[in-house]
Amino acid sequence: METLSLLADGFAVALTPNTLFLAVVGCFLGTIIGALPGLGPSNGVALLIPLAFSLGLGATESLVLMTSVYYGAMYGGRISSILLNIPGDEPALMTTLDGYPMAKQGRAGDALVLSGVASFVGAFLATIGLMLLAPMLARVAFLFGPAEYFALYMLAFCTLGGIASNNQAKAAIAACIGLGIAMIGLDNSTGLPRFTFGELHLMDGVDFLVAIVGLFAVTEVFVFIESHGRSSAIGVTLGKITIPFRDIGRSMVSMLRSTVVGFVAGILPGAGASLGSFLAYMSEKSLVRDNHFGKGDPRGVAAPEAGNNAAAGGALVPMLTLGVPGSGTTAVLLALLLTLNITPGPLLFTERPEVVWGLMASLLIANFVLLVMNVPMVKIFVKILTVPPWVLLPMVTMISFVGIFSLSGSTFDLLLMIGFGVLGFFFRKLDVPTVPIILGILLGNDMEDSLRRAMTISDGDPTYLFSSWIAIVLWVAAVLGFVAPMFLRGVLKKPQAVTD
Amino acid sequence: MFKTVLRRGTAAAILTLGLGGAAMAAECIAPANPGGGWDFTCRSIGKIMFDIGAVDAPIQVTNMAGGGGGLAFSHVVNERNDDADLIVAASSATATRLAQNAYGGATSDQVRFLGAIGADPGVIVVANDSPHQSLTDLIDAIKADPSSVTFAGGSAAGGFDHLKVLMALGRAGFDDVRAVKYIGVDGGADAITQTIGGFTQAMTGDISEVVGFLKSGDVRVLASFTEERIPGFEDIPTAKEQGIDVVAVNWRGLYVPKGISDDDYQKWSDALAQVGASDAWAEQMAANGLAPFNRVGDDFQAYVDGVIGEIQTLSREIGVIQ
Amino acid sequence: MSDRIFGLIMICVAAGYIATATQIQTGFISDPVGPKTFPYIVGCVVILCSIMILIKPDTEPEWPALMTFGRLLIAVVVLAGYAMTLRPLGFLLPTAVAAGVISYQISPRAGPAAITGVGLSVGLFVIFKYVLGLGLFAVPREWLG
Repeated sequence: METLSLLADGFAVALTPNTLFLAVVGCFLGTIIGALPGLGPSNGVALLIPLAFSLGLGATESLVLMTSVYYGAMYGGRISSILLNIPGDEPALMTTLDGYPMAKQGRAGDALVLSGVASFVGAFLATIGLMLLAPMLARVAFLFGPAEYFALYMLAFCTLGGIASNNQAKAAIAACIGLGIAMIGLDNSTGLPRFTFGELHLMDGVDFLVAIVGLFAVTEVFVFIESHGRSSAIGVTLGKITIPFRDIGRSMVSMLRSTVVGFVAGILPGAGASLGSFLAYMSEKSLVRDNHFGKGDPRGVAAPEAGNNAAAGGALVPMLTLGVPGSGTTAVLLALLLTLNITPGPLLFTERPEVVWGLMASLLIANFVLLVMNVPMVKIFVKILTVPPWVLLPMVTMISFVGIFSLSGSTFDLLLMIGFGVLGFFFRKLDVPTVPIILGILLGNDMEDSLRRAMTISDGDPTYLFSSWIAIVLWVAAVLGFVAPMFLRGVLKKPQAVTD
Repeated sequence: MFKTVLRRGTAAAILTLGLGGAAMAAECIAPANPGGGWDFTCRSIGKIMFDIGAVDAPIQVTNMAGGGGGLAFSHVVNERNDDADLIVAASSATATRLAQNAYGGATSDQVRFLGAIGADPGVIVVANDSPHQSLTDLIDAIKADPSSVTFAGGSAAGGFDHLKVLMALGRAGFDDVRAVKYIGVDGGADAITQTIGGFTQAMTGDISEVVGFLKSGDVRVLASFTEERIPGFEDIPTAKEQGIDVVAVNWRGLYVPKGISDDDYQKWSDALAQVGASDAWAEQMAANGLAPFNRVGDDFQAYVDGVIGEIQTLSREIGVIQ
Repeated sequence: MSDRIFGLIMICVAAGYIATATQIQTGFISDPVGPKTFPYIVGCVVILCSIMILIKPDTEPEWPALMTFGRLLIAVVVLAGYAMTLRPLGFLLPTAVAAGVISYQISPRAGPAAITGVGLSVGLFVIFKYVLGLGLFAVPREWLG
């Protein structure tokens, strides 16, 4: 009850015509930024901080604007994933796996509406979870030390096996390429460079956005030039846009489970939204019976979207209660709070309740605005697919270049991105999945660091990696995730051959 | 080769984040991502400078992360050596890296240090349920069994947070630096989380990073590395009181390009001094646990040179650099 | 065949990676694992998996004709040129050229390709500069003085 009255106070602060207008603007801008390849939620929020100041917005208004942009970008990332097979940002990576096949089947509208609803479910429940449990959940972060994080990353990589390729060896190579690329740059533990060849641009490593945009957007251009778009979603006759109630109903369980998975991943500062959507997708893939994940299963769209939006909400838990940003985006939000003279930490909930509850209220507002805005907007978005390819593809290319260029301003990154594009083209021909490469780049450093930290703490004793029940549970899950597909494949081989 | 590529890239970075259009406003480069100490320096000092009228236009903040501040440093030296509308955030970490030659051959005399108007005192922190009651307790435990204590800190091995621990242990007569266990994590908040979680036994960082956790009762501060007790935190004993004569503060300051005129340098140092004397800054300092530290102009340049010399000697002694 | 070549290339890359990893400087205070172990493991896993692919390759993919490879090469060269000129020449000109060429590669009609190039160049500039507020320069910076 107390929560409700606090929330009501929050709404009293956050729900004025002024802030509502800002929420709409923020949601719209965020959706666009999220949809543009190369510009993700963190850059969106970072780009808009100066705007908040030049408009002279107060603390609450700034928060509403920023959270709207943040959630908007999380929603928007899925759009280019589904329509063009190009993730708008890293958490939308998994949505390409089933979203794009759906679009190829002419169901782009369904996929967009469904993912919009899934995003809402994930984000909404996560916000509720945040409100009810944040101070308590903050303690979860204290349970995860280096050993537990290492086990968590192992779980992610062990379940990679069957992803989007039938050849586990190729998926493993792809993951290792990502991990290998992640090693480039200054070594966190010693502060000394690795694999940089004296190049200062490599000191901070390879930005995963460069890899994503290269491996997806640039590769897509090459594939298109080669095939003249015979196998793309562009130009596919679109069905009438309706709300796919059947798909939504069928995916509801997946959405709810994925919300939980994503939210938990979000709470852990070392995991974040990308891991949230990945784990949500992989767990649904193993839990849902007779699925055709990877070939346009609606549940394969709903799961990662619910997962990554829930993780986005979950990531606010450690940010608000510990001051530990779990992702690039929450780092920028943290910067915003600090500039507004609000210091997140264990006392924020008791010392500045008006800020916390104002924020919660603005998150809820952003959620509803996005849902209401997104469903009608789907009609506009699918129009993208009717743009002739000789306009659309150059456009996507140019947007990708400017997106990457505006982040780092570096010609080097652009060339690297083209390199990734070429690599992606050959890999696609060879049926080497590219998603594991991105995952490797995203998680590689954290994985290595957690192993090395664990070994420092334990003086090199490997049993330390299995010294807590959380670690053991994660290891068991990892081993199961690695072994299960091998057996299942043997069992399922015959029926699969028939359906193929 | 790498210099040309570097130059191309870093100059282009200025194009970004809306700076291209507003050529008239002065710019403050925070050589790190938003959220850290450098970012704080740029944002709060920049804002107050404009609010109190020390500069005419709001100061634009650019984040230029890379090489632990090295990218921004070479950018200033190579590209904007005579740009009078540029200030760059710096701290003890800048001095430490310059001393350890971590900026690819760049040296401190390639820029002019402007001043520092606040300092974040170094602290050693343990979880509330830790058996160690004082800094000497902790050091005795390490002397008895170095592997029993792991420190967590926000800087990489050999960085400022790590050096503080090694300095303290050195003064207490423990010289086997390789035996001291230290893990560098992503920032002070992360380090403190690991310490409260019991994964590491102590955290080395700055007081501003622990204020919230201190008030909530999750941690205890064993010692501050200051001359006097920190204003507002009078119940925290200094290391000096406990017989360990180490003073290590993370000053928050600025540098400017080397090639600007003395008039411009004077203009900036006056503006910084005004901020240092303002009430708004006093509030900011109190809110963030910063201790008074006021060195502006040539006095500060001399101080930085001294600090760099000291860190160099120390780093050589303990083997961080050859 | 393609898979076998891929496997061989990956073995070479991994070997090179491991060789480079041996040269990594070790810090003055090294943790028990050290900066080299993880790269070694990654390299070894790649070699193992590559051997598996060598032994059991997948079916041959469908490679494009030589002509198509030529067109892809042109696209790569144009994009690389775009990347190099975007900064010195400003946004408008390189974007128009690159977008036009890519458009022509997809549908070889000069007129629409040229219009696409110019239209995208101007349209995107307006969007990026004035709606999203990115600091782009339309023309070489020298021209602006």
